[in-house]
Amino acid sequence: MKTVKKLKFTFNIALLLILIVIFAAISILNPVFLSPEYLLNVVLRNVVELGLISLPMTLIIITGGIDLSVGNIMVLSAMVGAMAAGRMGSVAGVIVTFLVGLACGLFNGIIIAKVKVPAMVTTLASMFLFLGLTRGMTGGDSVYAFPAAEAVGSKLFLGIPVQIFIYMICAVLFYILLAKSTFGRRLFGIGLNSNATKYCGVDIEKMLIRIYALSGLMCALAALIMIGRFSSLRYDAGTNINLKVITIVVLGGTSILGGTGDLKGTILATLIIGVLNSGLTVLNIPIDTQTIVHGTILIISLIAYEIVNRRTSSKRLKEVKTELLKKTG
Amino acid sequence: MDNSQKKNLKKLMTTEFYLLLFLILVLLFLAVFAKGFYDLSNLMNLLNRFNYVLIAAVGMNMIIITSNIDVSAGALVSVLCIIAASLGKQGLPIGVFLPVTMAAGAVLSMINGLFITKLHIPAIVATLATTQLFQGVLPLAVNGSIYDLPATFTWLAYDAKLFGIFPASTVLMLVVIVTGLLFMKYSKFSKKLYAIGNNKNGARLAGVNVDRTIVIAYTIAGALYGITAVIIGTASQRVTTTMANGKEMTFIAAVVLGGTSTAGGSGKLIGTVIGAFILSLVSPAINYLGISPDWSDAIMGGIIILSVVASAVNIKKKRRISAAPGGR
Repeated sequence: MKTVKKLKFTFNIALLLILIVIFAAISILNPVFLSPEYLLNVVLRNVVELGLISLPMTLIIITGGIDLSVGNIMVLSAMVGAMAAGRMGSVAGVIVTFLVGLACGLFNGIIIAKVKVPAMVTTLASMFLFLGLTRGMTGGDSVYAFPAAEAVGSKLFLGIPVQIFIYMICAVLFYILLAKSTFGRRLFGIGLNSNATKYCGVDIEKMLIRIYALSGLMCALAALIMIGRFSSLRYDAGTNINLKVITIVVLGGTSILGGTGDLKGTILATLIIGVLNSGLTVLNIPIDTQTIVHGTILIISLIAYEIVNRRTSSKRLKEVKTELLKKTG
Repeated sequence: MDNSQKKNLKKLMTTEFYLLLFLILVLLFLAVFAKGFYDLSNLMNLLNRFNYVLIAAVGMNMIIITSNIDVSAGALVSVLCIIAASLGKQGLPIGVFLPVTMAAGAVLSMINGLFITKLHIPAIVATLATTQLFQGVLPLAVNGSIYDLPATFTWLAYDAKLFGIFPASTVLMLVVIVTGLLFMKYSKFSKKLYAIGNNKNGARLAGVNVDRTIVIAYTIAGALYGITAVIIGTASQRVTTTMANGKEMTFIAAVVLGGTSTAGGSGKLIGTVIGAFILSLVSPAINYLGISPDWSDAIMGGIIILSVVASAVNIKKKRRISAAPGGR
């Protein structure tokens, strides 16, 4: 147990160091990056949607599942919400956005938990479905923002973009949910050994449906912010987001196999990706290079994680061996 | 043991049987309601699409049987399209650029395999990372697209016709699928794939070199992506850097629709053939039914969901409890 704790600790410190190094390097190369307006309005603001979705994604990956459809849930709920807002006003738009997000999440969750189709297959198929529904309903056109979405996507509060406050509140809530509640403990249990958890009296099906539904709701929230920020959205805007969110979660040290991970890592990884994206833009590096940088960082972090992991497990094995030797004399 | 094997066989038979039944129903439906669907030119277009989806899906099938996955296939095929086009631009004939593209595909896909086996990175994450690398490198190497390609390059799609009507890619498809079916049925190697997918440690203890087998599976799949890339690329005189991005989902969907479980260890190539055919059918079919092509993705997603749900309900009782939801 002690070694596991130590592992997490070092990994988060490593992430923090990476963040500081990248941040310092970019600020030295281009001091514009350091101005508070730039940091708030570009660096943080651009990564809020990804950050919001990566919170529930961390929970899902901890249970050993995955959700490849988040970006498409997001765009679908934004589309339907914007259409409803156009006819019935802003309030209806917001309500419909959340309802659609919830419905999509429930759809995934029920198929995964009740019908027991693997999460990857389910969300792969529902990705097609949601993408197709969005495309079919809009006929390939864009939809435009409505006042309520603009309020969360492009307005300032105390001189700071509103969505940053939203992200901070959500991050704290999710942290408490995962690290300080029985709900969170149970998620780790499902990821480590779902049978054992089941026989400890946890209703796994209900838990899974809940976290996928929660993911749908967070996608809807991110959707409101995104459509408010861009003021218009095309049907295929969400496809890239799926993989980016998974990149963030994995970079944050959550094992894709389930059972390990924490939200501090995910939050740090969100900041790293945010600083990198805006930083590379500030340095006039083309967007394609940014994709390479993302990929490389993901690979390096995976290799680092693997090495740290292997070292701790072999250390643990040694400890057990010496203890056994002591006992047997 | 014997009994359970028989049962297993029966179960697989019915999955493919139902799929075939569904396909026949769709084809009958189209015959009645979609006027002009059975036009020769439409059928040949459909066949061409089917050819490249199936060739890539054969490779994907091998990978998924080992309980791995390859989400980089689309980006990789885009890279290979550009490689083929840059060779074709020099006026080189297909006899040169097809093997070179296949070799390039094999090497690049082998990198995926090495990441997964040597560095113990889960397949979905490793190929996710290489997707980003492939997508990022391409636009740096090529400015948007390679165009004004000579007739020697587009020869496969335009001039080479079997018996004057069939697209020549059909020959490639037939070679791949016949070899594939025989290979998956009779070769020792395919048994190793199934063994790894069923029980990796068991396979290792039984003397299977697990890492090498997985790397070889990825390498073969890469070579097959090379053929797919040539078929996709030669279809026009302009090859763009994003030509096949997102196609990996179609390849995976064809395999999954064909009854292969992403948990690995089961599934037959013949199911993948039917799956690929159904998926290639969707967009021309709705076009002839007078539905906007914008709905094609939704219908494709619906079909996949229905089929996986149906097969899951079918085998739910027989399934061990330990096959937890949300597993790999």
